[in-house]
Amino acid sequence: MELTRRRLFKIAGFTLLGLSVKPALDVFSKVELPEPSPIAGPSAVKRWAMAVDVKKCWSIEGCTDCIDACHRVHNVPSFPGPKEEIKWIWTVPFGKAFAEHDQDLMEEGEAEKPLVLLCNHCDNPPCVRYCPTKATWQREDGIVMMDFHRCIGCRYCMAGCPYGSRSFNWRDPRPFIKKINPEFPTRTKGVVEKCNFCVERLAQGLIPACVEACKEKALVFGDLKNPASEIRKTLQDTIVYQRQPELGTKPNVYYLL
Amino acid sequence: MLNIRHTKLEEDAILLRPILRTGKAFYVAVTILSALTLWGIYAYLTQYRTGLGVTGLSRQIFWGVYITNFVFFIGISHAGTLISAVLRVTKAEWRRPITRCAELITVIVLFFGVGSVLIDLGRPDRMLYVIRYAQFQSPLLWDVISIGLYLMASSIYLYVALVPDIAILRDHAGRRGWLYRILAVGYAGTEQQHRRLEKTIAFMAVLVIPVAVSVHTVVSFVFAMTIQPMWHSAIFGPYFVAGAIFSGIAALILAMGLIRRFYHLEEYLKPIHFNNLGILLLVMTLLWFYFTLAEYITVIYGREPVQMAIFWSKVTGTYAPYLWGMFLFCFLIPLPILSFRKTRTVLGTSLASTSVMIGMWLERFVIIVPTLTRQRLVMGPPSYWPTWVEWSIMAGCFSFFIFLYLMFTKFFPIVSVWEMREGREKSMTEFAERLKTYLPSKDVSH
Repeated sequence: MELTRRRLFKIAGFTLLGLSVKPALDVFSKVELPEPSPIAGPSAVKRWAMAVDVKKCWSIEGCTDCIDACHRVHNVPSFPGPKEEIKWIWTVPFGKAFAEHDQDLMEEGEAEKPLVLLCNHCDNPPCVRYCPTKATWQREDGIVMMDFHRCIGCRYCMAGCPYGSRSFNWRDPRPFIKKINPEFPTRTKGVVEKCNFCVERLAQGLIPACVEACKEKALVFGDLKNPASEIRKTLQDTIVYQRQPELGTKPNVYYLL
Repeated sequence: MLNIRHTKLEEDAILLRPILRTGKAFYVAVTILSALTLWGIYAYLTQYRTGLGVTGLSRQIFWGVYITNFVFFIGISHAGTLISAVLRVTKAEWRRPITRCAELITVIVLFFGVGSVLIDLGRPDRMLYVIRYAQFQSPLLWDVISIGLYLMASSIYLYVALVPDIAILRDHAGRRGWLYRILAVGYAGTEQQHRRLEKTIAFMAVLVIPVAVSVHTVVSFVFAMTIQPMWHSAIFGPYFVAGAIFSGIAALILAMGLIRRFYHLEEYLKPIHFNNLGILLLVMTLLWFYFTLAEYITVIYGREPVQMAIFWSKVTGTYAPYLWGMFLFCFLIPLPILSFRKTRTVLGTSLASTSVMIGMWLERFVIIVPTLTRQRLVMGPPSYWPTWVEWSIMAGCFSFFIFLYLMFTKFFPIVSVWEMREGREKSMTEFAERLKTYLPSKDVSH
């Protein structure tokens, strides 16, 4: 067989192609578990959830204890104005959060009262599907996590979240943090962040900062899998609401109205 | 057989003129384009230093001009390879002088499509994480794969069809000989080489069509796969593909109009070419209207509150000027111009194409931004107006695109010399033969 130049190139080409199969396969088939974050302890059998007792929450007007506590603990910067705002837990007018409720029949002023919102830590979180780099993922206990070091800042998770639970760092947040908590990481510009259900506190056996800060006990937190937990008892014999249940995301934040 | 090494160029010498001689107009154009490009780079550096906060984007409307440009540029890319491939596959003989010019648009503009997404990233330094930590469930990964494949396929397609012309340049240009010698890969126009070339082109032309369709389908999926009102729609795939071909043809006509004028190629890019492309553009105008109607009427009839909130913001609300502008530029202006033979001239089709380009940019904007006002959530009055940074980067992108296109014409013929010659020498008889096969072979009249 005569070895022409053309044939030589062909053989060389196929050999190269063949040699590249294995490395390529490795890249695509490697099941890469998210690097365990130091603050993400194992709590596999649990299913964390929160209930917001709205009437209790309204008993003190203008109270922002839960928001302040959360934002202090997690180094959430306070930007002036809504454009670059970052928030892990916040309020919106009740009538707007549950827009499907008939507002004509509400008590006067009720539609304007503040409703606490935070990441729903959905059982079926859309944001996790959209993230191109697995910078956001779901732990076995249901908590939807964010890896600030892997986020590329494409904001696709924000487009995917139907609850607006995610914020983006439009500029370096550090100068806007009132007092930096050295126990929790700060973020850089260009990454997305959101509520983490206080995984770092759960790992130490503490309840979330917002729940602890609420004097009226309007926030109840616990493990849904545990029949004796307070959260199970709170949700048991009452009608509860979730935000936009029709989307099938199965939020783990419940509202008692 | 076409043995290029020994043929003279006389007939098509004008096609090489831009490569051999450079006029004052070129230097003026390059200076202006470079200045705008540098300005765009300066704007990007500002954004890179300070963060995306320097744009008009906000927590609420977090995608704007950059993502609009992404969809727009990827749309334009369908000019090229797809149209040229379809015309080649269907043996449309009038394609000969326009294929190169179309394929080139595709290859260059794809870089700007990809670039627009990278400009939009909060952490561009981590962009390779998309490959390193690839999560294939994300439609963004589908984009990476599909666009990457398209870029590769269309670059090969452009290059392969360029090889015989590079060989001509090697033999005739007398300058940059080393460059052309390398790029010509020893092509001498022997019968075997020619056959191989034709085979490769035919194969690439067929391959590129499904890839091109997939590209704009998955671009639409970025939006359609979310559960946001007026994005989550099954029509988005075909709608985006149709829109892409629509704006692609417009870009091609516009590029041809400019090339014809500045390089005096009136004998090559003839009114008939503009007429034929004008008819294609007309078909796409009507198809665009059909898809838009189908999209909106299903929303209106369903009357879902979240959908209707976005709908009204487009029709009578904040975004009404954009929506009606889009309708004017995409439909009302081009339709009458393209409908009549009398106005389907070089100037007429160029004007209609300019209008379509503006209209299609607005369409992308109207698809992306209003949905982000996120009526499900109520977050304060939505407002988005791009800042000087976004406008500058956009101007930089467009300028740099034209700059690269222009530079190409200084190195390679923008009208395929060998394909023109092949048309003249070979296809005439071939076409007559083919025509015969369409007709009854025997006299059937008795």
